[in-house]
Amino acid sequence: MDFGFSEDQELLRATTRRFLAEHQSLAQVRRSIEQPDVFDAGLWRLGAALGWTAMLIPPELEGGCVTEQPLVDLVVLGEELGRVLNPGPFVPCNVVAGALARFGTEAQAREHLPRLASGEATAAWCLSGDGSPEPGAVEVRAGPEDDGWRLDGVARYVQVAANASLLLVVGKSPEGDVRNFLVPRPTAGLAERTVSGLDVTRRFAEVRFDGVTVPAANLLSGGQAAADLCLSLATVLQSAESVGAAGLLFDETVDYAKSRVQFGRTIGSFQAIKHRFADLLIELEAMRAAAYYAALALGDGLEDAAAAVATAGAYVDDTFAHICGEALQLHGGIGFTWEHDAHLFTRRAKANQVLYGDGAWHRERLVRLSEMGLGD
Amino acid sequence: MDVLVPPIPDDYDEYRATLKAFIADHKPVLAWKQRTGLRGPDQAGDIALLRGYVRDLYEAGYRLDRFSTERSDPYEQRILEQELGAAGVAHVLGNPLVAGALKHFGTDEQRATYYPPMARGDHIWTQLFSEPDAGSDLTSLQTRATLVGDEYVVVGQKVWSTWAQWADYGYLLARTEPVDGAGGITALILDMHSEGVDVRPLREMTGTTDFNEVFFDDVRIPAANVIGTPGEGWRVAGASLAEERTGVGSAGGGVDAAARLIRLARRSQRFGRPAIEDGAVRQQIGDLAARARIQRHLGQRIATKAVKGQITPADAPIAKIWFSELNLETTEAALALLGARSMAVEGDELAEEDGRWQDAFLYARAWTIAGGSNEIMRNLIAERGLGLPREPRGQPQSQS
Repeated sequence: MDFGFSEDQELLRATTRRFLAEHQSLAQVRRSIEQPDVFDAGLWRLGAALGWTAMLIPPELEGGCVTEQPLVDLVVLGEELGRVLNPGPFVPCNVVAGALARFGTEAQAREHLPRLASGEATAAWCLSGDGSPEPGAVEVRAGPEDDGWRLDGVARYVQVAANASLLLVVGKSPEGDVRNFLVPRPTAGLAERTVSGLDVTRRFAEVRFDGVTVPAANLLSGGQAAADLCLSLATVLQSAESVGAAGLLFDETVDYAKSRVQFGRTIGSFQAIKHRFADLLIELEAMRAAAYYAALALGDGLEDAAAAVATAGAYVDDTFAHICGEALQLHGGIGFTWEHDAHLFTRRAKANQVLYGDGAWHRERLVRLSEMGLGD
Repeated sequence: MDVLVPPIPDDYDEYRATLKAFIADHKPVLAWKQRTGLRGPDQAGDIALLRGYVRDLYEAGYRLDRFSTERSDPYEQRILEQELGAAGVAHVLGNPLVAGALKHFGTDEQRATYYPPMARGDHIWTQLFSEPDAGSDLTSLQTRATLVGDEYVVVGQKVWSTWAQWADYGYLLARTEPVDGAGGITALILDMHSEGVDVRPLREMTGTTDFNEVFFDDVRIPAANVIGTPGEGWRVAGASLAEERTGVGSAGGGVDAAARLIRLARRSQRFGRPAIEDGAVRQQIGDLAARARIQRHLGQRIATKAVKGQITPADAPIAKIWFSELNLETTEAALALLGARSMAVEGDELAEEDGRWQDAFLYARAWTIAGGSNEIMRNLIAERGLGLPREPRGQPQSQS
């Protein structure tokens, strides 16, 4: 048993952390939040050169991973990006890359994967009308037309980067089946509106499809299975981000409690505070255990992969939000200021809680798996 | 990254089959009802049968490495632990906490003297740690062992001693040195059959008698029975308690408990429908099921850290709190699912599974309190894991 990261993965972590400290630290991210777009295409390409979008892409298409477990490699990256609340499309780009690598035709893969790997292109995943993964929430209707498909409807809470050149759109066929479409941009009939968001470190959009036509060659194979893979990848990668973010905020809060003096003592010396920190460390360790195992199980195709992903979805983001709330409270008044970073983490956590299936959705899924004898 | 333990090769199938047949042939039929947790038999006849069973296993060569200085085939050890555990009959008698103390602090002679009879079922051990006035604050213990010639003379009282009414030996912490606190404590091996040892079984909230009080009235212990050196007892105890806590954390059953709750919710009713159709019930079970799976992964992380030498002082307390609180909540959820029927206990025809959930609920407090209460565990996590300031000690209270 080796339920930890390899030396190569630790090297990847160190390299990524150094890069982010220099080019995209939390302080630098903070400076971008009040601008219309938080995304920096140049920095994204530099990150891509370090493998941010390459892990799930085969080497012959310009991708490549660090170890034989690309999803675990991505967890390392996700944690590091999460620590600085990176605004980039790490989750959607890798979701789309993973889906294309697994379900794309050779032509689709050749056209899109090298550009995603290099960071020249970015992708967005248009899941549903209300952001949830319920099949009934898909609001894009896909009708066959001539030699292709016509898409009408709306997808909301889509994480976007300016000029995302590729959309992966979940649509519903007239028979009610899930179909996944590759929609390159620009395409006629596509309209996007940025939602004023609680999470100020990222941008989310309402994407409208008004008679968007795509050729038959843009249909991804796999149907529901492809959509399921996208959701599993999104859950695991977002969990990794949440683990990284929660870990940094926790450490910072412990340091604060060691230095903040009230009543002539550091507040970290009060048992009421110490026991809360103990509970938060338990939660953080549990988040790590859940997220790492989900990546391992999904990546290696273990029998309990679905239950492992549902476990991460059920626990990690709700717990991230709880840790943020406690960290904010433990900081007292300074934590309530705009200047302090605690609210940025809280905002990120509240978004992660409801994206890609909220905790309740994944708990229900875990019960259904258990009912089918797949919970163990 | 992986969580795989090397699979047991096929050529061990015969070893396993032979062992299973041996267990089936030798497993005693006990009067004692097996309940969840570390429980104590209440009849002497059962003790004789259990000693015989463990002796038969030992003589046939089925021996656990934890009571030995030798290391045998690891695959055979794993099969042995698996099959003996699955047999549903105790194969470790009493509390063998002392084995870890002897491993790290004992002399070769002590190990040679005590390991074989412990392994053979000839010696049942108990721990003599907690006192009525020294629970969480164990270093304030008052049981005194005074060196007179080449013997210690022990006066005092212990509580929460496992199987002490059946024990042959006790792993005793007593104050030998003229200093307060940890530095005055020594770990000693006590022959429980010595003159002046009085064991009184203690009935707990479960209604069963799983622990004891032990009184010492001028009990004599040879000075050679010190484990480690005089005054080193707190370190000796810390090493063995840390092992016990990790053991508590891996005491498992979590995932299985979630599956049990689903079965229970199918049979129970809520608002005129099977409870499993109720959204609130499903959310609660989903939450417990997720945390049960995480319990296993926390254990896998700790096992990996142990191999790599990366264990932190927070790890065992985290596992202990996680397991014990999840276990308690799971039993509470089961009682809630049973509704009014949860009032019917063991022996009543209305009781679910002959009252296992009610007993498990009551016993769950043993896990949250024993082995260092969860409040002490939180202090350990905060102080030793995170480096927050230590709790100030109050002035010693004079004993009346």
